[in-house]
Parts: sequence; structure tokens; C-alpha cells
Amino acid sequence: MSIERERLDADVLIVGAGPAGLACALHLARLIRQHNESGGKPELSTEGIYVLEKGRDIGAHQLSGAVLDPRALAELVPDFAKTAPLDTPVNDDAAYFLTASRAWKLPITPPPLRNHGNYIVSVSKLAKWLGGLVEQAGVNVFTQFAGAQLIHEGEAVAGVITEDKGRDKDGKPKDNFTPGYELRAKITVLAEGPRGSLTKHLVADRHLDGLNPQVYSIGVKELWEVPPGRITPGWVAHTLGWPLNSSMYGGGWVYGMRENRVSLGLVTGLEYHNPRFDPHEAFQLFKTHPFVRRILEGGKLVRYGAKTIPVGGWYSIPRTYLGGCLIIGDSASLLNSQRLKGIHMAIKSGMLAAETIVDALRAGDTSGTKLSAFRHKVDESWIGSELRSVRNFHQSFQHGLWLGLAHTAVQFVTGGRGLVDPMRMKAGHEQYHMLDGAGPAPPRFQGDGVLTFDRLTDVYHSGTRHEEDQPCHLHVLDTNICVNRCIIEYGNPCQYFCPAAVYEMVEEKGGRRLKINFSNCVHCKTCDIADPYQIIDWVPPEGGGGPNYEGM
Amino acid sequence: MKILVITEQRDGKWNPVSSETLLAAQQIAAAQPGSRVAAVVIGKGVHGLAEEVAANQLAEILLVEHDLLDKYTPDGYAIALKQVVTQTQPDLVLLPHTYQVRDYAPKLAASLGKGMIADCVGYRAEKERVIFVRQMFQGKTAADVSFTGAPPWFVSFQAGAFRGDQVARGASAAPVTAISVNLQAEQIRTKPLDLFREAKQAVDLTQAPILVAIGRGIKAPENIPLAEKLAKLMGGELAASRPICDEGWLPMDRQIGSSGQTVAPKLYLALGISGAIQHVVGMKGSRTIVAINKDQNAPIFEVADYGIVGDIFELIPALTEVLEKK
Repeated sequence: MSIERERLDADVLIVGAGPAGLACALHLARLIRQHNESGGKPELSTEGIYVLEKGRDIGAHQLSGAVLDPRALAELVPDFAKTAPLDTPVNDDAAYFLTASRAWKLPITPPPLRNHGNYIVSVSKLAKWLGGLVEQAGVNVFTQFAGAQLIHEGEAVAGVITEDKGRDKDGKPKDNFTPGYELRAKITVLAEGPRGSLTKHLVADRHLDGLNPQVYSIGVKELWEVPPGRITPGWVAHTLGWPLNSSMYGGGWVYGMRENRVSLGLVTGLEYHNPRFDPHEAFQLFKTHPFVRRILEGGKLVRYGAKTIPVGGWYSIPRTYLGGCLIIGDSASLLNSQRLKGIHMAIKSGMLAAETIVDALRAGDTSGTKLSAFRHKVDESWIGSELRSVRNFHQSFQHGLWLGLAHTAVQFVTGGRGLVDPMRMKAGHEQYHMLDGAGPAPPRFQGDGVLTFDRLTDVYHSGTRHEEDQPCHLHVLDTNICVNRCIIEYGNPCQYFCPAAVYEMVEEKGGRRLKINFSNCVHCKTCDIADPYQIIDWVPPEGGGGPNYEGM
Repeated sequence: MKILVITEQRDGKWNPVSSETLLAAQQIAAAQPGSRVAAVVIGKGVHGLAEEVAANQLAEILLVEHDLLDKYTPDGYAIALKQVVTQTQPDLVLLPHTYQVRDYAPKLAASLGKGMIADCVGYRAEKERVIFVRQMFQGKTAADVSFTGAPPWFVSFQAGAFRGDQVARGASAAPVTAISVNLQAEQIRTKPLDLFREAKQAVDLTQAPILVAIGRGIKAPENIPLAEKLAKLMGGELAASRPICDEGWLPMDRQIGSSGQTVAPKLYLALGISGAIQHVVGMKGSRTIVAINKDQNAPIFEVADYGIVGDIFELIPALTEVLEKK
């Protein structure tokens, strides 16, 4: 069915209003103003900058721990210490190794985990505040609009088509059907966060992958309110070990925030071998460890969420420039997985993209060659030096925790080179071990409803909602694979790795069927990443749907 | 404090939530000495209903009748009630939070330049003022809201927030006073058509006094008639949790929960329902909750007043048998 779409022309279209996209917009608006004020020609306008955000408001889909290294924010907003919604400065840092019953405090906190001078923040609040500054600068942010498809013109990207609104569950137009807009732009900036849906297809179709494919971890997080005195604001703890075994990459965090709030979570690399591993369950178990339990006892769950993190590092960065297009932030894997920090790089990359864009608009040249200046800027900035120093970090854990730590030690004294440089790594979904006669699946985790929760209860606390009568946004290419092959080879890991109970294998006469509860989806992208056959394609649902990560 | 309750009727039949609002008014009045509660009955040919309401412990019934109020229209009700409020000068105007009230009450309040606190679940009477409690974030928090500025103050209460059957009866019938209002046909900008009913029989689960709800424990659609029969014998309606409607075993209008309807019947019988929080938020206001589930750890038992750890396929026939004998 050919639809007529309304067309709008922009100069710059930024897809995603997270720290990267908003930093780009804010810096771009400033640079444009400076350009015009100094009589630059041609004159540029902030009116031609559009930012798209699929969430209901700015910040609704933002989730992170988070401990922010403020260096990029200081460049973007020099008076940030007074005006940004920082929760509390970090005043105590500790690293622990957990066994099933004990917590061993590391005598020296490893340098990458030292956070003096950093701040505990809610990335959602940070994004909201940045969004306010962007709107004040005269840039339009369109919330509840997703980038559904890229528009190509020859080799270049020419813009984005937003999602159709008002289709029923069979795809047929409802009374309020509005076709997506055709937003054409001279430059499209993809700032979609980890495993962006537009970015994923662009990188695959144009073979933009770096030396290593992009790889991810899943972070499962809860925000708690605990009895007064239980936690000191500014206390930052990171853990290794239990409940993850030594073949798995990941670790936990517990951060003390103001007003008796605690941010805690568990990060697990999405390259584990056991297809029945359940990251949500592992996090619930993490809370039962005496080290964590004594903090939470008597407290109350406030919010829940999950998101993926791009941890591949330097060698996983894809080509970030094309004719008419730049990829920034988490979408470009600009994250230091050793320090567990990416927000500062997201902001900095947004600023560097803004500089590149103004140069291109001034010269009237938006070709790939012109925009490649972005990558040079990234390489020459502190993003480059920081990521190069940990360029083999994540890969060195492929063969387990202890080898990984050994490699890391060598990398530390060789400026990142280590014993193998570059260390290659396969995509996470290729790392499963087939079930091969493994016994029956263990029973699903129920939780006690007080300290630990089942998935559905947690999903409720993510505030996620979607318009029910719309097409399912999780496209499974061939459900026969689920029912005939995957069930035997991997035991349908989607039921385990999805932190929102979206996927269920239900009994039916004569066998099983895949049931997709899409309205539970928290937009983490784990399924798109971790599905062993790569047949799940996550596309944006109708804008506005998704979690409500207030305070996360 | 002078309190005015706007009751609701359609085609000569009460919306039972009106009784809940009357009780709320009586309770608030009791907490504020020297208070007075009057009730409005609005429509056409509703004198009989007014006399019914008069049996309750109220100071006065105000009968507001007009040809143009025969069928509900937002303009008709808002214009008529604005005159009533202006004339009687109440401090507090209480309404039940029904679909109809959602339609005209904001318009009414705005026409008097006043705000409205809607969908409240309770109140707290303090010395100087009344604080109203409403839920936020899908029931996860409760907010205390009070009015600044002069009366009249408009408040609506959520269905199930008060027990309609506890309205105090009066020692003698309250006087019924007719109030005349001015309404011109040109003022009414909408024309009500026939009431819309879904294809088959319409079911408004929020009006059913008894609900028999089934969950995954029912196992197969073939077993649903068992529950349906029980519901009929009990004089109730059949409802379901989400998985049943997702499978298409029952239509979506039977669904109770955060993505379905919110109900507060006198009796809610939950059969084979685990009690996930998404379902519970849709029915926890029920007067009495009875749950039957095989799993003793099912969260439904935390909200149930009476619970049976047992097999619904034993208990439904047993209950049915007992009811058939009556």
C-alpha cells in the first residue's frame, strides 16, 4: 500500500534525545549562534535542527547506574556544578569480591573504579535537564516520535521516516491513522543509544563494523528507598564474583544517593555460554547476598528497569560517518567498559559531531569525506586516548575472569597493548553452548515479593505501557525456528534473557508456540542482541510507548 | 460546611456509585460541626428518584428538572448545575467519578472559574480544611491535595472509595425542593444519539455487584462455561485476567487489570488467578475478595479476604451444586 507522507525538510536531524543527542543539539545551537553573530556565511538557523525522541518525555527511556565523570559536562555547561541535577558527589569508593556468603573488600580500589571527583546521577534527570537547555536554545525536540526507517539517496543518508501511528494489531489503519513523516535532512545524527534500530541496519547493510562486532552487556537495575541511616549518600560499591561464575563477564553495583535512595544493579555480558542463564534472576539473587540484603532490608522498591550497554570498546567502534550521516554515543560503542562509563563520552561525541556538522554546513559539503572529520576529532580527543588505553579490555575476558584480570594487568602497564593487540572477539550471540542433552530446565524464579521479585512485578515498576492495539514491534523472522530448532538446540533463551517477560513458550495442543507480550517491553534491546539465530528484529513501537524511567 | 452532592441517574435508574458519594458527604459533614448536606437529582420525570434519595439522612433534596435535561448532554448539565451552584452557594460539591462526570464536571467547574480535584480515593478532615487523597502513577503513590481560594470546591470520588450500602437513613424524609433552571435549546451544542452498545451484549463490569474472574488456572477455553454458569447462579458477571483475553478465550471487555478495567464490586471471586500486581490493581478495591488457587504462595492470597488453597475444578462444581439446590 503506497501511503502519501507529509514531508519536512531540516538541516540537521538528531535521532534520540539522550546525553549524546542532546549535547549535539545544544552545542550545535551555540555554534550556529556564534557563526551568525560573527557574520559567517551562509547564515545558519537553529530552526532547522530537529531532535526525535521515541519516549513519552525526554528522560523516559534513559537508564543507567550512574556515576558520571563530569569532564564532558564541564565543557558543555561550564556552570554544571551549580545547575545540573547531580545527586551527590562520590565520597567513598570500594570494590568487593563476592562469594555465595561473604564479601571480600579489595584492599586497594582498582584505579578504573576510583571515582573521586565524580558524581552519582540519574541519567534520566540529567537528560530532562539537558532537554530543557536544548529547548531554551531554540531547538525543537519532538517527543513520542521514533525514527522508523532511514531514507537513502544513492550512497548517502537523506533523512528518516518516523513511525506510522494508529495501526491496529493486524497492521490495518485505525480511525486515528497518521502516516509517518518523511523528515529529510542534510545531516542525520544517529544517537539511538545501545543497539539503535536504525544504526543496526545501517551498520549491517553498509558493512560499517569495526575490527570487532559491537558487543553488549545487559544491566538490570532497581531503585530502592531504604530506612534512614542505612546508606551514606556518595557511597559507591562495585562487586565482582557471585552470583556470576568465573566464565561470565559482569558485576554488580550499589550506589548511595540522597534522601535514603539506593541505586543497585547487576551487569552481565551478553556472551555467556549457558542459554538458560537468566540475568534478571541473577540480579534478584544478588540482592539476597548479606552484603546487599543488609542495606535493603525494610526498604521499598521504587522503580525497575533494564538496558543494554555497548562494551566492545575501541575495536568495536563502527565507521561513524557516511554521506549525510553521523553515528554518536552508545550507538557508536563510545563507552569505557573498564570504568563502566559512557555518559561523558556520549556528551563529548555529541559536541564533536556538532563541530563537524557546522563545518560541513558552512562548506555546503555533507559528503562522507567531509564528515569523516568527526572520527578524526574523536580519535584526537580524550575519548580516543581513554578508549585506546582499554582497547583490549573486554575481549580479554572471553576465556574467563581470571585470565581476563591477568590480561588487564599487563594492559595496564603497556598503555592498553597487553599480550595480544588487537584482541579479536566474536559477537555475543555466537557464544552459546548448545543444550546437547542437558537436563530439564530449572523452575522459574518467583521471588519473595519483599526483597526479591518475579519479572512481572518488576515490569510493573518500570512504568512501561504501550498502546495495546498496535502491531507487535518485535519482529521474529521465522517462528518455526523457535518451535522446532531453538527449543532443542538452546531451549528458547528469549524466555530467560528478556528482563521484561516479553517472550513465553506456551503449551498448545500438539506442541509449543512463541507468545510475545510486547506491551511489557522496556526497550532494552537484549532480544535483538542475544537471540542465537539473530531472527529477532526490534523496531520502534508507536512513539510514546515504553518505560517511564523517572529517577533512573 | 455546606455540601452539595450531585447524584447520577440514567433513564430513571440510579448509578449506584451515587450512594457512595452520599456516604462520603455524610462522613465529611460529620467531621465538620454545623455542616449540611443536600443532594441534587437532575433529569426529567425523576421526582420518584428524588423521593427515594430523601429517605437518607440529608438536609434537603434539590430536584432539577427540565425538558432539555431528559437525555444527558454536557452543556445541559453544566449550564443547569452552574445555576444550582450559584443559587445554593455550597462550599463543597461532591460527584461520583463516572464517565458522565468526567465529561461535564470540568466544564462546570471551569465555568465558575474553579478547579476540580478528580478521582479521589479518600479524604482527611483537618480543623481548617479537608484534604483529598488521590492516586498517582497507577496507584503507586497517594497524593494529598487541598484547595486554595474560595469555594465552591469541586471533588469527585472514585468508584469503590466508599461503601454505598452504609449511607445513613434519615429519621424522616428530607424535603424535596424543586429548583427551576433556565435552558435554551440553542445552548445545547450536542445531540445525544442512541446509547452505543458493543456488538453483542454490552457488559460494563464496573456496574456488576458480583464478579467471577478466571485466570490461567482455567487451563482451556472448554472449561470457561463452568465458571460462567457459576457466575450466573451467583447473579454476577464473568471477568478474566489478561492471559485469558490475550488468548482470545474471552473478549477484551472482560479483562480486569492495569490494561483492562478497574472494578470494585461487592464480591470478587478469583478462580485460578495468581494475583500479579497488574491484575490486582484492577480489583483491589473490591468489597470482599475470595480467591481459589492451587498454589498457596500465589500473591492473590495477600489481597484476598477469604482464600482456599485448592483445585478450582473440584470447587467450582461443588459451589455450583450448593447454589443450584437453593
